[in-house]
Amino acid sequence: MSVFQLNVNGKVHSVDIDGNMPLLWAIRDVLGLKGTKFGCGVAQCGACTVHLDGKAARSCITDVGVAALSKIKTIEGLSYDGSHPCQKMWVELGVPQCGFCQPGQIMTAAALLDEHPHPDDATIDAYMSGNICRCGTYPRIKDAIRRLGGSATS
Amino acid sequence: MSTKVNRRDFLRAAGVGSGALVFGSYLTPALQAQGLIHNLINGFPVDGIPVVILKVNGDVVIITHRPEMGQGIRSSLAAVLADEMEADWKRVTLKQADADAKKYAVAFPAPVESDVPLPFPYNTLSKDPKLQYLISPEGSQFTDSSRSMTAYFTVMRLFGAGLRLAMIRAAAKKWGVDAKACRAEKHRVYGPSGQSSDYRWLLLGAKKETPTYDEISAALKKPEDFRYIGKGKEPMPFYDALDLVRGKSVFGADVELPGMLTAMIERCPVANGALMSYDAAPALAIDGVRAVLPMFPPGKRGGGVGRGFLPHAGVAVIATNTWAAWQGRRALKPTIKWHVSPHDTYNSVAFRKELEDATSKQGNAVRKLKDVDDAFAQVGVDTKEAHYYVPHLAQTPMEPPVAVAVFQNGKMEVWAPTQSPDYAQIWTGQVALGIDPCGMTDDVCNEKARQASTVHVTMLGGGFGRKSKPDYIVEAAMLAKQMPGVPIRVQWTREDDVKFSYYNAASSQYLKASLGADKLPTALLQRSALTSFFGTLIPNYSTPDLSQAEIKGAADLRAATFGGGAYPYASGIERAQGLEDMPYDIPNIRLENCKAENHIRVGWMRSVANVYHAFAINSFAGELAIAAGRDQKDYLLDLIGKDRIIDEKTFIDQSVERFRNNELPLAAIEVPTVKGGKANQVVAGFPPDTSRLRAVIEKVAQESDWTNKVAKYKNMKGRGLGIAAHRSFLSYVAVVVDASMSNDNKLTINDVYATIHCGLAVNRDRVLAQMEGGVVYGLSYALLGEITVKNGAVVQNNFDDYPVLRLNQTPRIHVSIVDSNEPPTGVGEPPTPAVAPALANAIAAAGGPRLRAMPFAAKNDSGSTDEKIVFL
Ligand code: FES
Ligand code: FES
Repeated sequence: MSVFQLNVNGKVHSVDIDGNMPLLWAIRDVLGLKGTKFGCGVAQCGACTVHLDGKAARSCITDVGVAALSKIKTIEGLSYDGSHPCQKMWVELGVPQCGFCQPGQIMTAAALLDEHPHPDDATIDAYMSGNICRCGTYPRIKDAIRRLGGSATS
Repeated sequence: MSTKVNRRDFLRAAGVGSGALVFGSYLTPALQAQGLIHNLINGFPVDGIPVVILKVNGDVVIITHRPEMGQGIRSSLAAVLADEMEADWKRVTLKQADADAKKYAVAFPAPVESDVPLPFPYNTLSKDPKLQYLISPEGSQFTDSSRSMTAYFTVMRLFGAGLRLAMIRAAAKKWGVDAKACRAEKHRVYGPSGQSSDYRWLLLGAKKETPTYDEISAALKKPEDFRYIGKGKEPMPFYDALDLVRGKSVFGADVELPGMLTAMIERCPVANGALMSYDAAPALAIDGVRAVLPMFPPGKRGGGVGRGFLPHAGVAVIATNTWAAWQGRRALKPTIKWHVSPHDTYNSVAFRKELEDATSKQGNAVRKLKDVDDAFAQVGVDTKEAHYYVPHLAQTPMEPPVAVAVFQNGKMEVWAPTQSPDYAQIWTGQVALGIDPCGMTDDVCNEKARQASTVHVTMLGGGFGRKSKPDYIVEAAMLAKQMPGVPIRVQWTREDDVKFSYYNAASSQYLKASLGADKLPTALLQRSALTSFFGTLIPNYSTPDLSQAEIKGAADLRAATFGGGAYPYASGIERAQGLEDMPYDIPNIRLENCKAENHIRVGWMRSVANVYHAFAINSFAGELAIAAGRDQKDYLLDLIGKDRIIDEKTFIDQSVERFRNNELPLAAIEVPTVKGGKANQVVAGFPPDTSRLRAVIEKVAQESDWTNKVAKYKNMKGRGLGIAAHRSFLSYVAVVVDASMSNDNKLTINDVYATIHCGLAVNRDRVLAQMEGGVVYGLSYALLGEITVKNGAVVQNNFDDYPVLRLNQTPRIHVSIVDSNEPPTGVGEPPTPAVAPALANAIAAAGGPRLRAMPFAAKNDSGSTDEKIVFL
């Protein structure tokens, strides 16, 4: 057990935990922020996606010791009221079905749009292919990102 | 029990003939006699309507009694009520109901008379002859079979219209005007001379109003007056959208209770296994680990084949957080020894051979029309035959199974993402009472168990049938029982989910046809072997440790219920899903069911038996069309033949009429006229109607520009269209796939078109969403997914070796709905079955191989001789 300073959503938390604990469980079990989801634990599904210094990262394989070096943002920190452009577009297009994957999808999409404000389809595919949605909301996710990036056709 | 009763009265009670439905909820059998709204106390439930609470300020709380797993049912059913009530959606809040199966059941208020033995579930569930259900307690919250809207559309409308009528009458009395001159709109009643009042000020008056069933029924809106339903004036609300995109919705894993501990369980990899020994010390040495507990005492067999929802044998590591439990489990694993199980020689590759042997021999006929053997024996007749195979498949909902339970003062309290609140309640209640699970069959035992457990239903991170089986919830209860007062959360990993599913059946399908001069079949033989889920749910001769008496009891029970069928054969439910209701108009037909044993737990996955039945019959149709040089779509329409209701007289087993049609009790509430059918052709509901199948085929052909594309692709190498159509869960779906095949056998899916006929599409946007998602789900299992088993243990682990479709692999998907104002039918499952065969037909049309075994895409370790394609 060691003490780590975790800067999550602009607030610094001091936690005394096993340094090998993946960030995901520190966020969920220790800090009690439940918006970041567990879907696979092996970087296959993206449900656990958070931002580390603005870049999308899989929190299920990020040691808490490594995460302590970065600014961490979770879905709760993206906006408190759902006003982030991605969240607004997701609601407008009715993207979620069960919604379980959507915090991860949105965190990945937000990072994508930060880096590429006008992504082409290949970029969208490359960025988003790491996020599984078992409900199959991919067509609407793609549509949402295209619209946000100004390349919407529909 | 075969209640010999008079059919006419039964039909009258069901609303047929007299035009009036006799209707009452279970809690208030005299809905009409006692009045709709009495005993209305501010902020309390409306008596007689178990799904509404009116608040003192006039706001409405709608109880959503069906679990939400992404199908949008919370919003949809609530909006149906709000629409009829003319409630302002801004003043509606939703509250998810706890398990309370009887509260949400709907019963006939009077004894039901019928001159035929009442089919399941009416014949078995009620010991009280006075109580016959339209919606049985077993089905009232069981969110499965795509039936929520089918079952409750009319109920919710009646509740809403009754409230609106009561408000209008209260206002009319207050103003001293004729109620007929008043109307309601968005939480206000308007009078003839400019008066208006918010519902809030009418609550006390409305409380005294007692509209009758007939009056309420007459007050139901016309489709053009709908506010949210169908093509209503306003968009259908999506209540949970904002919470979902903020990560605020509470799923099973998000439940947090003071002092809660997290358990991870190392399970016996083989069904019906037992623990021999383990050493707790290495796990207890991990920081945060509090306890190591066996699920069953050493030597006692856990769940598996014939054991229903009993969990596998296992040892739990209980810790202060998930990570510690996980670490403890890793330390524990090498110390565990398991006893042998009768299923530890099960090997899925060898088993496939067994299934194919079974379908190579004659099975039990389930439907018969004239004589196929005669037709096949004609001299010089042209015949064609093919075997198709579908492996076990796992549902893998995005949220792995998880549940929380606490045991206190002899009672269990549970929080869980479950499709079957009632099963969860019964089975965890049995754990609380310390009785051996007696399943879902003994009324007295079940009732006692319900009293011993409270089940709170969370949001589900997907279900797809996995969360119909509450084994993971039973695990939480079993551990909570051993640590009274401590809330225990059982968290499954993805590996647990992949390895301990209730898998969709593995199936071999054999088809043979003789062809006439026009290349259309003169005879069709289909043999279906499938590992029925009843082999897992109900004990059978292969279940270890059972007495002869228990085996016989279980066999009798199975024969009498759930669509009959004896182990190791299919149940009526599975036979009804695309086998018995095979829609082609062929002069000689024999459909057979062949034997298939269970060696791992079998359950069901989105669309269940339709997965393999739709794949086989539609692929065969495509093969015949292409071999005949005919247009696939035209050939399919020729096969289906003239518009008609499938003649049930050709079904061998007449005892399971309702499930054969996949009919659900409330189908009886609104009975569509049977086109061209005799009055007694079907009991009620939604018989297989080929005119609807034709409608979706014609529409999807139009949407996909079928005819022009076929002409265009004829001259192009490596591009083709495939079509398939299938009825399931009372709805009809046709799918067209536009595919390209490269010289090196690489598949590109360009476009998928899918059209549904689901009666009135109540929530159009969610119907479209289910169609899009259903296509993705269907492509996933057609191309990628396969569960294999070695020595009784599942080989796959996670999404790396049990892959599912990803965004970059998803084609353009175009979905459409056939307009209809007929009663709504299923939406969640129907989109998937036609996808795989449409894709197989497209690949063949594009010059690729004929794919007769799923998954289509080559895998490294498959070792099969099947044709495969490459899909990246
Ligand atoms: S949980 Fe981290 S990628 Fe799946
Ligand atoms: S919305 Fe259910 S998994 Fe994506």
